[in-house]
This record gives sequence, structure tokens and C-alpha cells, in this order.
Amino acid sequence: MLKTEALRSNRRRHTTSTPKIAYLAGMIALFAVIPVIYILIRALTGDPELWQRIIQTRLIKLFSNTLLLLLAVTTGTTLLGVSMAWLTERTDVPGRKIFRWLLALPLAIPPYVGAIIHLALLRPRGGLISQWLEELNIPSTFLPNPTGFWGAAFVLIIFSYPYVFLLSAAAFRSLNATYGEAARMLGRTPWQTFWQVTIPSIRPGITAGALLVSLDILAEYGTVALLRFETFSSAIFVQLAGRYDRSAASILSGVLILLALVILYGEFRIQGQAQFTQIGSQWRPAALIHLGKRRIWGFLALFFTVLVSFIIPVGLLVFWSTQGILDHQTFSGMQIGSKGLVSFIFNSVWSSGFAAILAVLFSIPIAIYVVRYPGKISRLFSRLSQVGYAIPGVVVALSLVMLVNRFLPFLYATSLVVVMAYVVRYIPQAVRSSESAMRQLSPSLEEASRLLKRNAFQTFVQVTLPLILPGLLAGSALVFLSSLKELPATLLLRPAGFETLAVRVWIWSEEGFYFQAAPAALLLVVIAIIPLFFLLRRESIFKQ
Amino acid sequence: MLHKLWPVLATITLILSACAGSTSQPDAISSIENENSLSGKLIIYSGRSEPLIQPVMTAFQTKYPQLEVLLKSGSNSQMANTLLEEKANPQADVFITTEVFTAYALSREGIFLPYEPVGYQNLPDAYKAEDASWVGLTQRMRVIMYNTDLVSPDELPASLFALTDPKWKGQIAAAGSTNASMQAQIASMIQLVGQDQTEAWLNGLIENEVTFFGGHSDVRKAVGAGELKLGLVNHYYYYLQLAEGSNVGIIYPDQAPGEMGIISNATAAAIIKGSKNLNAARAFIDFLVSEEGQEIFAEGNYEYPLLTGVALHPDLEPIVGLNMANIELAQVVNHFEATFDLIDMANLP
Repeated sequence: MLKTEALRSNRRRHTTSTPKIAYLAGMIALFAVIPVIYILIRALTGDPELWQRIIQTRLIKLFSNTLLLLLAVTTGTTLLGVSMAWLTERTDVPGRKIFRWLLALPLAIPPYVGAIIHLALLRPRGGLISQWLEELNIPSTFLPNPTGFWGAAFVLIIFSYPYVFLLSAAAFRSLNATYGEAARMLGRTPWQTFWQVTIPSIRPGITAGALLVSLDILAEYGTVALLRFETFSSAIFVQLAGRYDRSAASILSGVLILLALVILYGEFRIQGQAQFTQIGSQWRPAALIHLGKRRIWGFLALFFTVLVSFIIPVGLLVFWSTQGILDHQTFSGMQIGSKGLVSFIFNSVWSSGFAAILAVLFSIPIAIYVVRYPGKISRLFSRLSQVGYAIPGVVVALSLVMLVNRFLPFLYATSLVVVMAYVVRYIPQAVRSSESAMRQLSPSLEEASRLLKRNAFQTFVQVTLPLILPGLLAGSALVFLSSLKELPATLLLRPAGFETLAVRVWIWSEEGFYFQAAPAALLLVVIAIIPLFFLLRRESIFKQ
Repeated sequence: MLHKLWPVLATITLILSACAGSTSQPDAISSIENENSLSGKLIIYSGRSEPLIQPVMTAFQTKYPQLEVLLKSGSNSQMANTLLEEKANPQADVFITTEVFTAYALSREGIFLPYEPVGYQNLPDAYKAEDASWVGLTQRMRVIMYNTDLVSPDELPASLFALTDPKWKGQIAAAGSTNASMQAQIASMIQLVGQDQTEAWLNGLIENEVTFFGGHSDVRKAVGAGELKLGLVNHYYYYLQLAEGSNVGIIYPDQAPGEMGIISNATAAAIIKGSKNLNAARAFIDFLVSEEGQEIFAEGNYEYPLLTGVALHPDLEPIVGLNMANIELAQVVNHFEATFDLIDMANLP
């Protein structure tokens, strides 16, 4: 009697009362969402007169600039990413296995480094290409203006397309041959089959990629600032760095966050659908399309993309770096105060590494809660913890400056604020990795462990953790990669003497000292390739 | 249930505060310090362009190898506002600014600790605080530089106001609104020619499609390469570009009788009240106004040293003989709010 009573209450506890993990998950979600709420409150309670002035003078232009760039870049990355994925996954173009790797590598190059190189090459008269042309007595006036809208769109497209490429390549890879064959048997031409069967089945992957690119574009500061195309992010940075007008910065940030939240909401909606591609027992890979004589064109398209997005930038960085290192004066100029290159590398690596560890630790309770206790609240927590996707670096910096000053003054002017910014901004990536790792783990393993009298914590350490570890590592690699490349929040929040590779690249190239900036930029790319390689190896398209 | 979390939270907080402590706490240094054994950290906030300040820091560092010199450079107003924010909890030891108005304003807010460096009496009164809370380092002028391949001498603009002439449409480079020299120039113009005329001038620049860069290094490079014909800069950017072998020339604007004259300004330095390494801070200020420090600014940066007796760079035009604008420091400082309003109204990038 007593026993059954205990059992029943036990069961009831399991189904109705809140599990302990929920509190932890809730606190983490709260931590992730506080900066957003704080900024929104600051924006909404902003001086109405200031609101009116901003609406009258700036808002329309910022809105149209930002949306225009968003539209152009998502369209561009989708076209480029999907066609590259189609060529490497669905056709017999030569070298496609190597191209898969090469096409993903631009993820190691921060777009602002791309923009620096773009400008160094194409500046009218001052640029390397225009100077070569002049030496050959060819007028360089036909070269397009590298700055402004088209310049920014171009740079962002060639350094963001890999997102779409990876997601749509995975979708192409999982296509089932039977669908296409059925369509052909029903009399559709190959062209019709492509549009009516292939595209719809990879659409969720493409859309997810495009929405992630959109969020990145909203957050991008370096590229648009350098190429002088004003968007919300760069306008907020100017308010903060140049005028230190926090009220105006808060209002602009509030509008930007609302815009980003709309996109993030769309991304949440699409996320569930993105998983519908199924690989059942009936699955076999669709046959490759033989391009015949057109193979050369496919090859050239792949090669040209890799050339522009990876070989030229990295080649130029290597060239400048050797120039910079060989020249004693430039090399000794790679010093700021008492700090040199070693300190920049150290700061970059430890702050990104620490952020990666924290983000993954924080993501575990969320992942366990949402996967093991599916429901409205757990899903809400999971989504709240992913709001960081929608907060650009400048906005994270703004909110942390205000929050830390007010509530955590002992953290003020420490490098930990920078780490905190990375965690807030990139914890969504860790949450997603941890969640998908948890989903692949059958609860029966954990139940077995509980039956063997292990408590919840022992079960987690002895059973769950070893099994989800690869997923956690992937999440931390992702956060590390993103934090390493982060620029605006680092610029605004760093204490004196805390110089990272990203900061040095930015400040030196702003002054036009490319030889000094190049070794730091090259190191940044090389360090970024390590986690990227680890991440790519996990992708289905790189497994044979 | 929550109680089980406390240990975890407590640990995290502990770790965080431990790390925070280790990074933010200044090294304790003994109060009796002899000149050659300065140690610990010297934290410098600088609103100046880094390459212009690094040589003098390197020289100082060579002198005091035990000292760890930490620089945070940013835009002048960002650093100034950071100092205001940190008033109760100062982090920096020394502030270097590109223009005296910021120094004056911060001094009024009680941010600085007065100090008369060695040789204080040899510095001009015009560029030091009455209470010795800040001291001027070098002087500079706002000038127009041009590309000699693209502009012939007879069509040169003789005044800043000529930059709004439509014949220069799309051919002028300038620094944007975040640049302190530009801000200071606008504030000075409000005092010299009034708010309306300054506003008209700013709108004229916008209408003339001036290319606004983040800083002057970009401006001088653009003019040097011939990307743009004219550039509005501080005089030393012209000399730096000339030294790189570009075909550039310099115009000292508004020289005719009755015109406003050249707008000039000075860089300045001050010790922060609450500095945790006062000896090092004082030694650094001493060094900045010493002959050795002033020579570095004069030789490497083509700036006008303020210490009497230090030779100008041989290429530099002596100030004597130029028509300089009559700038009232105390007045201009009060025009800064109006300056930012004008910048916003004109939508200066």
C-alpha cells in the first residue's frame, strides 16, 4: 500500500511538478534574454522628442538601407550557395570532392577582412588592381566603385554564401532518387522535375540558410562601416563611439532588435520543417547528372567562386604578411603599448575559448529540459535562450555597458565583459548543437541507468555526457569560431591593454597599415580554420 | 529545489569574481619609487590615432622597461565619456586627447589631477590649464591638402568656405562626424562665424557630396592616390602623405585680411584623479613635454612642438606669418552641444 502510494506520487511528480532542471534552464534563458529586454525598455522609454527626431531624420533611410542590403545579400547567397551545392552534389563536375571543402572555407574569413582586401584591391586609383592597370596604361575608370551598396552586398555575398551552400548541399545529398524518377515517369522534363520536385524538397534547407544569413547581415558592422554603407549596426556604432549618445543608440537598437526578432521568429517556424527530408530504407542517392561538355563551365564556376572568396584573400594576406614580417620597421610596429602579437593571439584564443566553454555549459540544462520534458514552457525557454541570434554585437555591447555598470560594477573594465558578450551573442549556437545531440540520445539509456540506482547527476555524468560529448564539442567549436571573428562588441567593451587579433586587424587597416594588419588577419583565419575543419568533418556531405 | 543550484551558482560567481579581480586590480606598488625603477601598469586612454602616439610610448617604454604600458585607444569622445563614466571608479592613469576642448571640459568635471610637469614654465600659457590639470603637447592646423597632378595652382580654393563650391562636387575627402578634429573644427567655426553660417557650410559639404572617411589616414591616402582631389585634414597628414612620395600640396585657408584665419588646436595630456600609478603617470607626462618626447612628435609626426626651443621639422612652415583664427577656448567648449546638434541635423556621416 505504502509502496504503491510512493510510486504513484513519484509518477505524479514526474508528470505534473516542475523538474529541477527547469529552474536552471529558466535562469539561463533569463540571462540570455535580459540584454534584449533591457534595450527594448530603454528604447521604449526614450525621450519622445528624440524618437521624433530620429524618425524624421534617420529611420527611413536606415530602414531602407538595411532592408535593401538584406534582400540583396540573401538573394545573392541563395543563388550562389544553391548553385554551388547543386554542382558539387548533383553533377559529375571534376574535383567536386575538393571543392566541397574549398567552398566552405570562406567561413574562416571574417567579412570585414574580406572588405579590407576588397577595398585594397579595387579602390579607384589607390587600389592594387587600378595601379596595375595604370602601369599597363589601361584606364581603370571602368572598374566599379568598390564602396557603397554594391560593394557591401558583393563582399557579404561572397563571404556568407557557405551557410546556404552547406545547408542546401546536405539537402541535395539526402534527396531520394525515387521522387525524381517518379516525376520523370509521369512525363516531366528534367527542367520541370528540378523545379517541381528537387527545389521544393530542399527549400526548407535553403530558407533556413537564408534566414541565418539575414540575421548575420543585420549584425554586420565591419563591412558596412568600411565600405561606407550606413545600416542600423553602423549607425548605432557611430552613436556609441563617436558621440556616446546612448539614448539615440538605444532607440536605434530597439528598432533593429524588433526587425531581427521578426526574422528569428520566421527561422524558428522553418526550423521544424527543415528536418522533413527523411532517409528511410527505401532511400538511395539520386543519380548524378552528367554535364558532358558543359563540365568545364561547371568547373570554372566552382573555381572562380573559390578564387574570389578564398584564394585571392588568403593569397594577399600571405603576401602582405611576408612583406610585413620581412620589413623590420613594420614588424616592430606590431606593438601596442607593451603588448605584442603573442598577447593578441593569447587574448583572442582564451576569450573565445572561455566563451565557448561557458556557452556550452549553459546550453546543457536547456537542451536536457527541452528534449526530455517537451512542452510549451521548455520550448519557450529554448527559444528565449536563442534570442542572442537577433542581437547584433553593437547592441550586446550597449546593453552590457549599461547593465554591468549598474548591477555588476566589479566586472567593469575587465575582459570578462567581453567574454560575457560572446556568450550572450553566441549561446544560441551552443543550444542548438546540444539540443540536437540530446535528441539523438534515446531516453531508455538514461532510464536504464536510473534503474541501476544511479541518481540524476550520476546518470548525466556517466551516461548522458559521454554520449552527447561530440555534439557539445561541435557547439563549442561553433561558438569559438564566431567569438574569434567578433568585432564590434570587442572594440567597444575591451579594457585597456586587451587587444585581440580582430581588434588589431581592424584598427591597423583603418589606418591603412595593411602590412601590419595582414599577419594578424592571417593568424585569425588560420586559427579559425581549426574549429571549422572539426565542424565540417561532422557534416554529412563530407562523409563518404 | 533551488537550493541545490546555489553551490553551482556560488562557484560560478566565485570564479568570475576571481578572474575579474585578477585582471582589474592594479598591481600594488610601493609609494617610494625612484625614477628608474617604475613598475606596475600604466593605463593610457588615448583619443589620438594610434600610429601618432605609439612611437612616443615605445620610447617611454625603453626608458622604463619594468613598466607595463597598456593603451586603450578609441574615438576622442568615446574615451572622454568613458572617463566621465568611470569618475567614481577610475581605471586609467593618463588621458591623451586630440584637442584642448575635451581637456577643458573634463577638467571642469573634476576628472583630472593637477600636475606641473618638469619644464612647465617653458610651455605656452595658451595651451595649459589655469589649475595645471592638463597640459598641451603639440599644436596643429586645419588645412586643405590637394593632389598636385589633378588640381592646378590657379584654381586652388583659398578658404574652407570654398569647399562648398559646386565645382568641387564629389571631389573632396574629409573625416566624418566621429572624428574629434572635425568636431573641434565645427565647434570653433560656431564661435568664429556663428551657428547659421556653420550650418550652411556643413549642409554645403553634404550637398557637394564630400566623401567622409572614418579618419584622416584614409583622407590623406585618397588624396595622395588621386582618388579625390582635395582633402580637409590636420596639417601633418599632408606631410605624412608627402613623405610617402605622393604629389600633394597644402593650402593654408582663409588668410586674406578679414577672413577667419587658420583654425588651430592642440593635443593635450592629463593625469586622471584616482590614478593607481601616480609616479608612472607623472613620469609619462614629464616625458611627453620633455625635449626628447617633443622631438618625437616634431620629427615623426610633423607636429608643432609646444615646448619652446624644440626645433620644427625642417619641412614645416613656421606659424609666425600665418593668419591664425582667434579661438576662445572657454567659449568654444560651450558650443559642443550645438556642434552635435548641427552634425545630427546635417546628417553628417
